[in-house]
Formats: sequence, structure tokens, C-alpha cells
Amino acid sequence: MKQVLIAYLYFLGGIFTVLHPDVSMAQDKNDSSTGTETMLTLKYLCMSNDSVTLTANLSVRRGDNILSLRKAAIEFFTSIGTMLKPAGKVFSDQEGNASVKIGLAGLTGNEEGIITYSAKFTGTDKYSPANADFSAKPARLQLSFKIQDSIRVLNVTATQKDAGGNTVAISKETVLVYIPRLFSLLKIGEITLAEDGTGSFDFPNDIVGDTVGNITVITRIEEHDKFGNVQGNNIINWGVQKQYYKAEVPSRELWTPIAPLWMIITLIIMLAGVWAHYMYAVYELIMIKRLGKKDKPLL
Amino acid sequence: MEEESKKNQKSSRRTFLKKGLIASAGVAMGSGLVSACIDASSAGTGEKVKVMTTEGEIMEVDKGLLKLPRVSRQESHKGIPGKKFVMVIDLGKCKNARKCVEACQKGHHLPKSQEFMKVYLLQDSEKTSPYWFPKPCFHCDNPLCVSVCPVGATYKRTDGIVLIDNQRCIGCKFCMTGCPYSTRVFAWKHYPEFDEDKEPYSPEASSPGKEGTVSKCDFCPDLIRVGKVPYCVSACPMGVIYFGDVDEDTVTNGTETFQFSQLIRDRAGYRYLEMLGTRPCVYYLPPVDRQFPVDRGFGDLNENVKNRYKNTSYSKKFKP
Amino acid sequence: MENEPNKLLKEFAPQLEQTSIQGYAWIIFLLAVIGLGLFAFITQVTHGHEVTGMRDNVVWGVYIVNFIFFMGISYAGALISGTLHLFKTAWRKPIIRMAEFITIISLLIGPCFILLCIGRLDRLYYLVIFGRIQSPITWDVIAISTDIFGCLIFLYLALLRDLATLRDYEILQLPKWRKKLYKIMALGYTGTEEQQKRLNRATNIMAAMVISIAIIVYSVLAWIFSVTLQPGWHSTIFGPYFVIAAVFSGSAVLIVCMWVFRKIYHLEEYITKKHFVSVGLIMLVLAAFFGYFTFSDYLTKWYGSEKNDELLIQLLFKEFYWPFIISNYVGVLLPLLVVGIAKFRTITNITLTAVVVIVALWLNRYLIVVPTLESPYLPIQDSRPEWLNYTATWVEWSLTAAGVAVFCLLFTLASKFITVVPVAGLTGETKPEEALV
Repeated sequence: MKQVLIAYLYFLGGIFTVLHPDVSMAQDKNDSSTGTETMLTLKYLCMSNDSVTLTANLSVRRGDNILSLRKAAIEFFTSIGTMLKPAGKVFSDQEGNASVKIGLAGLTGNEEGIITYSAKFTGTDKYSPANADFSAKPARLQLSFKIQDSIRVLNVTATQKDAGGNTVAISKETVLVYIPRLFSLLKIGEITLAEDGTGSFDFPNDIVGDTVGNITVITRIEEHDKFGNVQGNNIINWGVQKQYYKAEVPSRELWTPIAPLWMIITLIIMLAGVWAHYMYAVYELIMIKRLGKKDKPLL
Repeated sequence: MEEESKKNQKSSRRTFLKKGLIASAGVAMGSGLVSACIDASSAGTGEKVKVMTTEGEIMEVDKGLLKLPRVSRQESHKGIPGKKFVMVIDLGKCKNARKCVEACQKGHHLPKSQEFMKVYLLQDSEKTSPYWFPKPCFHCDNPLCVSVCPVGATYKRTDGIVLIDNQRCIGCKFCMTGCPYSTRVFAWKHYPEFDEDKEPYSPEASSPGKEGTVSKCDFCPDLIRVGKVPYCVSACPMGVIYFGDVDEDTVTNGTETFQFSQLIRDRAGYRYLEMLGTRPCVYYLPPVDRQFPVDRGFGDLNENVKNRYKNTSYSKKFKP
Repeated sequence: MENEPNKLLKEFAPQLEQTSIQGYAWIIFLLAVIGLGLFAFITQVTHGHEVTGMRDNVVWGVYIVNFIFFMGISYAGALISGTLHLFKTAWRKPIIRMAEFITIISLLIGPCFILLCIGRLDRLYYLVIFGRIQSPITWDVIAISTDIFGCLIFLYLALLRDLATLRDYEILQLPKWRKKLYKIMALGYTGTEEQQKRLNRATNIMAAMVISIAIIVYSVLAWIFSVTLQPGWHSTIFGPYFVIAAVFSGSAVLIVCMWVFRKIYHLEEYITKKHFVSVGLIMLVLAAFFGYFTFSDYLTKWYGSEKNDELLIQLLFKEFYWPFIISNYVGVLLPLLVVGIAKFRTITNITLTAVVVIVALWLNRYLIVVPTLESPYLPIQDSRPEWLNYTATWVEWSLTAAGVAVFCLLFTLASKFITVVPVAGLTGETKPEEALV
């Protein structure tokens, strides 16, 4: 449904541009005076070791394509109220990404504890400046593991600091449980937090871990209006030990670099047999030649 | 359009939160494979964590044409240690949008006539339903193409990927007849697209191509090495293609991640032409619970692509 | 042997001594055709293989058909002369040389066609330095090179007596270098008892070797196709089928050669109707075998009608109807009728039948290679007609013509170097048996 809606919006936009060429011309002119318009997005992740990771992405639109801007300086700030505190300047990589990790120690938010983070691209002659900001309150997710009545249980506790600096529970929120994998996070469950900020989850027993069965478990509160993305992780030996893949049937080895032994032996025997006979025929020819030489004096 | 980009620029809370999830997966894992991601262990003190380049001219980079590190030909024989790659294709979701084909061709600098990924319109029998069938290389565990190669130009690695070294290939095309899935393509001449790629050749990138040699889908090991899924996987708007490490029992299409064994069990996954004994590493999920009717796949195709399917029995009956 | 100038040689000497105007015209014509082939080859090298009709589905076309075809007729000498020699067939003498020439010449041309099919000729030596024993192509490289050596030795052994005769025939009006060449090549063979004994022993061994290697070479060639999983190729019968088809085509080419040289060099006295009928009967037996293998191969495919086999057979009976009828009906039934019924057995009829058989067998190989590649497991879905169906281009036809021209040219040159009928064995009164035993 969403896809269809977006397509429809594009379609309407297209019609609009066709019907009002003057308008789009004027816009182009406006763009060129300030340089190509850039787009800046900011991603936020609060880690439970009292740090925050900010990732900014800078891109431009060229026709239908969105191109990343590389080597662009992105500045990061934290702001409390009207005060801006620089948090680092990073150059974007080839995908237009620049990230910083910010320690939360020493940062206090507004009266509600909310901190505003911002990223800024100052712009150049060719590219227009861009800003992005995000506000969230630091939070913390902690994981513990327990075996209750031979059932493996994962316990989560979510906390935040109140105005007085005391730790209080985050209640009634949804926590997602993930296992980090090669390309992405594998979601294995959801926990709804109780009043006291705790929740538990029966841990499945078919999750593949590393070769000794260790798994990293990640819990997250995602896209929360107040806390943004909050993450906590821990390691537990509850995984199935990783078995490296073996072919289901013994390989016939025809595709390996070395040929099967029987093939090599057969080939050698055949070639040796054939060439031995050739050699014999050539030997006979040589003997015929020798005999010819012997005959000569007689003639 | 103007409005659209403005919308993007304004930091819409929901979108960047969503994007943040994928990116931060790398952070959380701190995987040794992924060199480009942020080092999670360094303590957050407000310092910069990553400086990719020094200050200089800003460059525009096409997302499909990232400059990826390339390993040498020798190195490409080894395979990524401790991994075994697998692909799952959900036939119920494919509507022949052809974004996988386009992204793959762009990423591998391929001409129009060389498609590593092909989308077939199949109908198993008269009364059964037709379906779109995206077909990459199956990277078989018993690859006949590798068996028959006279010079070892094509080889199977420890991570299951079958690659071609086009600096070794003599162009006898035996592998093309050996492959029962018509996966391999031949460079019948020097295509101008080959010159687009200025990087040194690596079998892992299958680029730049070379006249008179064979090439095919390579599962994009160069992307895997930087922690990214192959071009076709990330390009698909429907999330049809899942990719992952089978030892880890996980596959992802970029937005959803599943346990491989569960997905295959619950959705009756199968391998195409199993009876041939090639033991493919690509699994298909049957075309059930369609998200779109099959004829939607003819929708936005250009005439050339549409004509491909005109001889199929379904297409003959279908009158748009 | 040197008691008197060889009577036969005296008769055949003009063949070696001079070339007629027609002869020169013929050679120039052949060179022109070869020139066209060279031009086509240069075009293919400079413009890439795109100038051929081959595309990603039909990756092997007329080149491979020619390769199989020429390798097939190389069987004429190997099996026919080898077998006739081992069974000491009396009538073989006048035609055995031709059979050996066919063998060695087509054996040199055949592999050239596979080279035309290779995308990167500059890396050909990789086959040796990086060769993988598991690959049937490596088997083929080994088998064909072994076969070429074996056939060269066999041919040389068979030529030795004649070379000695030519050396001893002093009144031959030839340039000095050629006389010297005969002398060197004759190895001082004078026909002493010891020399004869050794020569016979070597010839017998090589005849046996050449027969067995030819079987292996042709089976390996068939395995290139049958080890793959392609519906039309994946067949256990392909080895013997290819062997039989090869000897069959070899016998037909031999008959045509007999007819041509009989006309040009006026060999009516030596190559008689008896020879035509005898080789014709060999051809008849082979036709029956060939028909049996063809039938058995297609019957099993048709009867079981596995989906892809069915598609292939449909294709053969629709798009390839006439080639299929000519190769597998006419090509089998015509020799059975013409040679089988005594009334039809004339030299002209047998020769015409042989020509039809040659065409039929070329088409047979085409039908094995092309339709199979046009009906793979996954249907070909492409909008470009040249990617759907294979049609050979002028480049491929020119090179095919050049291949035939090279065959004719080498045969002509060989017949100028040494008589097409062995002179040593037929000296004076015919006593062929004694000559070799």
C-alpha cells in the first residue's frame, strides 16, 4: 500500500511539472545560485555504556539517482538549551557517511533530561549547506541470563535518570531482541517491559552461535519518541555450536584442483602403453636404417 | 520533486531512525570482516572515531559504483574464511521489477547483452500458475562447470562461491555447455562498458570484463568483504532475494532477517532442478501468497524486455 | 626389388613429374578459397567472435560440427586401413594409401576448427601449463595429439616401401631436392629379409594401435558432449555412436576419393568396381549400425519423453525437419538400398550415395550440436532473434569452405609427392599376400 501511495505521489508531481514548466524553471534557477542542494540525515544510537553514536549521511539528488558526497566535512554538536558544544568534525566516506561516538558523561540535558544532537554541513561553492538534528533522552538497557526450571530466560532492565540524577525504570515499552549476523541483525523476539522496567523472554535453543556456542545478544528500544534508539548487549553461551558446512554427499572431487587418483593412474597406464608401442615402432625404423647402412658396402 | 527532497532534508524522525538500525548493526557486531564500520570498542569521549580522508575536493559517488577494495587473483582463490554463502529467492514476491538486473549490471560494468542475473517467466505445466523466476548463478556444491574447465579458470572456494578468473580463461565455452542452468555469459567482443572500470581486475569483482572470456554472477564477494549484501539483494524493491551465511543460519534481504532453516522449513524452500545433482546454494520459496498478480511484471518493461517473454505460453494467452 | 624398374611406377611417374594446367588452376582455386577463409579468420580475430552466429545459448556452432566431421573422416584410414591391413584383405592395396592420406590430412584440419571456437587463442598454451586432468578437453588434447603421432608413424611405415622404390627409380624426372628427400626418407630400406620382418612387425603393431587409439579419440570427443547434463547430449550411447558415425563418414569419403583419383589419374585398371563394391559393403554395414544407434538414441528419448527430451525431439521434427530427414533417414536408407541391391551397384551410384552420406553425416553432427543448445533446461527468453536461433554467418561458412579446400589441397600435394596407389606392393604380377606376411 505504502509503495503504491508513494508511486502515486511521484506521478502527481510529474504531472505538476509538466503542466507548469515555468515553476520548475524558476526553481532550477534558485538552486543554481546557492549550489546543488544537499540532503543530510542523522542517525542516533544510545549505547548502554553511556555513549551515543551519531551517523550523518550527506547526499545529493541527480535526476533519479541519489549520489553520496565523499570528503565533505560534517560537524557534530551537542546542545543543551541554546548552548552549542562541538563534538567533532568528520569527513564523509564514499557512501557519504560520517560518524562520531560521544561520551554522555558530563552532558546534562534540559529540565526533562533531553539532549539535542546536531550535524552540520557548512556547504561549499558547489553545494548548499545542510543541517540535521535529533533530540533524545539517554537511557540504558541491561541484559542478564538465567536458567529457571531448565528454561533459558533472558531478562532485560531499562532505566533512565530523573531530574535529580536518580535511576528510574522505563516501563511499558517494547524491547526487541536481536542476534548480530554477518549482514544484519536477526530478530528473535520481543519483550514488553513491566512497570518496574524489567521484562523476560524464553530464549530459543536453535540459535547458532560461534564454534563454542557463544552468542552476542542485542536488545533494543527502537524509534522511541523520547529515547530514540537504545541498545544494550551481552554475551551468553546458549547457542548451538557452529558446524562448518560439509557437502551432504562425499564429493566426487571432479571439481577440485587435483584429479581423482584413479583417473590419473588410468591415464598414465594408457599413455604409457600407447607410447611404449610407438617407441617400439620407431625403434624398428631405426633398426631398419641401421640395416640399410650395413648393407651399403655390399652393394 | 522539490517537495520530496525538502522532506528528505528535514530530518524526519522516523526515516533516519529506521536507517540507523541497519547501519548500527555493524557497530554492534564489531565484526572483523567489516573494516569500514566503526570501532565499537573505543571509548566514547566525544573525539572523532573515524576519519576516512583528509580535507579535499568533495566528490559525488554513485551508490552503485562504490570503490571497493579488490583482492589479488591468488587471494580470490581462497574464499572468506569460516563462511558459506547461501541465497534464498522468494518467488511469491517477485514482480519482474528488474532492479536486481540493473543494479548487477551497473555494479559489474556489464553491457546490456550480458546479464548475470536473469528473470525468467516460467510455467511448469499448462494448468499450473506462471511465475517470475530470478536466476543468479547457483554456486553449486558439485559444480559441473568447474569439473569440465580444462585450465582451472573457474574454481570453487571454501565459502562456496564459484568464481571465474578471466585472465586464465581461454574461452573454450565448455563450462557454458556444462552448466545446466544457462548461467554463464561470454564476451563476444570488447564491450565499451568494460572500459568504465579503471580498477585492476579481480575475479571477486568480475570486472573489468575481457573479450573472449566467460563470466557470470559472482555473489559479489567484494561487497561481502565490506559487510554488504550483493547488488541484486539490496536493489530489489520487493525484498525478494535473501542472502547470508548458512553456517550462521541467517539470511537477510536488507530489511528483514530470517533464520535460514526456519524460512526453508516454514515456506517449503527447494532448489531448482534438484535431480541434476549439482547441489545448488540458491534456494527458492514457492510462488505462494503472491503480493502482485503475474501480469504486473509486464507493467513498466520496455518493448525489448517485454518481447523476451512473448514466446512463453502464458504470455501468448495474456492480453494486457 | 631393384631387379628392374618398377612397372607400375613407370606408369604413374607422370603424376609425380608434371602438373597439368587444370591441375594448377585447381590449386589456385583452392588457394583462393583458403584466402577467403584467412580473411574471415582475420575478421574474427579483429572484430571478436561476434562476427560468428554463436551466442550465449548456442556457444558451439558450425566450427564444432566441422571439428567432429573432420575428426570423423580421419577414421577412414585409421580403422579401414588398419583393419584391412590386420585382416590381410587382398583387395586393399590400391586404396589403402588414400585411406591413410585421408586420416592424416583430416586429423590435421579437425583440431584447427576447435581453435576457431576458442575465445582467447593467445592463451592456448594454458591447456598444457595449467591443464586439468578432470576435464574432457584435456583428455581430448592428449588423445588427439597421441593419435596424430600414431597416424604419422603408421603412414610413414606404410610409405617406406614406396619411398625406397621412388629412390631406386633413377630415371624419374624430378628436381634434385626431391630425389634427396626420397633418399633420406627411405632410410636405406632395401627390402632385405631382416628389414621386411621388422617393417611388418612395426606395421602390425601400429595398425592395432591406430585402431584402438582412434576408438578412444572418438569416444573422448563424444564424452565432451555426453558428460554434460544437456538433455540431448547426456547419453551413454554417444561413445560408440560417434565411433560408428566416424567410420561411416570415413568410408564414404574414401569412396569419393577413389572415384576422383580414378578419374584424374586414370586408375581404372587398378581401382575397379570390385573395390567400390567392397568399400560400399563396408559402408552398408556401417550405415546399418549407424541407423541402429541413431534409432536407439532417439527412440529412448522419444519413448520416455522426459520434458526436455520431448522439447528437443519436437524441435528436431519441426524446425530441423529436412536436415533430420536427410541425415537420419536418407543417409541410412540410401546406402542400404543402393549397395544392398545388386542391380543398383554401379560405380557412379555408389559414389553418389557416398556423397549423400557425407552430407547426411555433416548434418547429423549439426543436429547433435545446435538443437540441443537451443533447447536448454531453462527456456531461452530473449528478444533478439540471433540469440534465440543459431544461424552460421559468412565467416563460419568461409572457414568451413577453407577447411575443405585445405583438405583438397593437401591431398593434391600429397598425390604429387607420392603415388596415390602403392607401387611397391603391386610390383609385377600381383602377389599382395606375400609382400607383407
